[in-house]
Amino acid sequence: MQELADRIAAYAAHRLPGATDVAVSHVDRIHGGASRETYRFRLRWREGGREVERRLILRRDPPGSLIETDRAAEFAAYRAFHDTAVPVPEALWLESDSRWLDHPFFVMEELVGFEASPQAILAPPYAQHHERLAREKWSILGAIAAADPEKLGLCGALPVVDPADAWRRELDHWTHVIDEDELEPQPIIRAAIRRLRRAPPPPPRRLHVVHGDYRTGNFLYDAEGSIRGILDWEMAHLGDPLEDLAWSINRIWCWARDGRVGGLTAKENAIRIWEQASGLRADPEALHWWELFSSVKGLAIWISGGHEYQEGSNKDPVLAFSSIWLSNAQDRAALETMGRLS
Amino acid sequence: MKPDVGKLLEIVSGKLLFEIAPTVQPSYRQSSVQITAMLLGMVREEWERSAARRVEENALLRGLFARAATRVSDTDLCRRLETAAAGADPDLRISALDASNGTLRALLIDLHAHVETQDAPWARALEDEIWRELVASTERRRFALSPF
Repeated sequence: MQELADRIAAYAAHRLPGATDVAVSHVDRIHGGASRETYRFRLRWREGGREVERRLILRRDPPGSLIETDRAAEFAAYRAFHDTAVPVPEALWLESDSRWLDHPFFVMEELVGFEASPQAILAPPYAQHHERLAREKWSILGAIAAADPEKLGLCGALPVVDPADAWRRELDHWTHVIDEDELEPQPIIRAAIRRLRRAPPPPPRRLHVVHGDYRTGNFLYDAEGSIRGILDWEMAHLGDPLEDLAWSINRIWCWARDGRVGGLTAKENAIRIWEQASGLRADPEALHWWELFSSVKGLAIWISGGHEYQEGSNKDPVLAFSSIWLSNAQDRAALETMGRLS
Repeated sequence: MKPDVGKLLEIVSGKLLFEIAPTVQPSYRQSSVQITAMLLGMVREEWERSAARRVEENALLRGLFARAATRVSDTDLCRRLETAAAGADPDLRISALDASNGTLRALLIDLHAHVETQDAPWARALEDEIWRELVASTERRRFALSPF
């Protein structure tokens, strides 16, 4: 890790022209979003006669990953929501030049002292705060849906789509991922795709910011039941806000195995909180479409990770584990949404 | 092979998870060892049922195709159904069973898509049969660790 620390320090010195004695320490790779290599580190430097230390996160593109995503879009989303009602870490530097760290990357603030694990949230001291965590979780998602992407400056950073085509763009994209990466035929999800194409959802009235992976496991929370940071914006895009709501209540995130969505609350409660916070109505038929779509997208992600692992382009065991562990559950979620699972 | 593969994987997985992983640093590597241990647990589960579920499923799909072939009017699809229905699994190695299963499941997709477009009682009955098989197929592949 010393070589990486030295290279990060050289880059930081380049970005901090007024700084001297720039040093990086405590570099530690962590699991944080499967699309990029994630490291935490401490950056120290002297500037204006004083010593400064910041704890930061490096997100670096790997050779292969669970999902191919646009780092610039993720960086732009963090920037756009910083200092808003949606808590996010401060995004500092975006770098596409591979000479610094072999691959493109970006650097952001580390939010220290909080938990992210979807398993830890089920146990004390967090378990007693599930209703509060649920209220915050879907209120923040409502705030994301209520945000104006134009005012946030995201309409340039994220591709704009005609609201009427938002569903088609997403379905085409994830169907293509399945076409490219499937290691075996997928009769259940192919039936789901045919069904989705036969009866598209009504379009949203306008374009909204869609986080793209809003679920328990992708936010930081504290022991008092507050959500302190929304992470993993790697699939952020513009589209229909029901996509995020449907993803957040997908059956495979029922971590407590008791039907509570996200391991936290009843599905109906989550939808009610989101409607209040967003000022939008979750039309049941439209939401049902996006719920089924969520299983298509989910399976595409698990398939893609399994494909990367089998091809040998990324040998992180989390790719094989997610693919094997969740593909079957995702098929079952799709069957349930289609009313075929008794 | 003795000790039994299932027992061996159970012991190796447990050692990795409870004895080795807690001693590994940094946290990323520790987490990778834990995930590998859980992977071995799933491999153990799959090892035991591997051949049985493929043989069972391949036979059920061939039976379904034989019944469908008597109804489907599309000449090309009908011929493919008859050919698949007449097949068998003489080679019981997993790779061979897997290849057959892949071919049969691909044909199931084509049959399902075709049946959905047919407006007749036989088509609805066949569609129901396909859905029942798809539900059963997820049960055959289900893991104890499944989120639901």
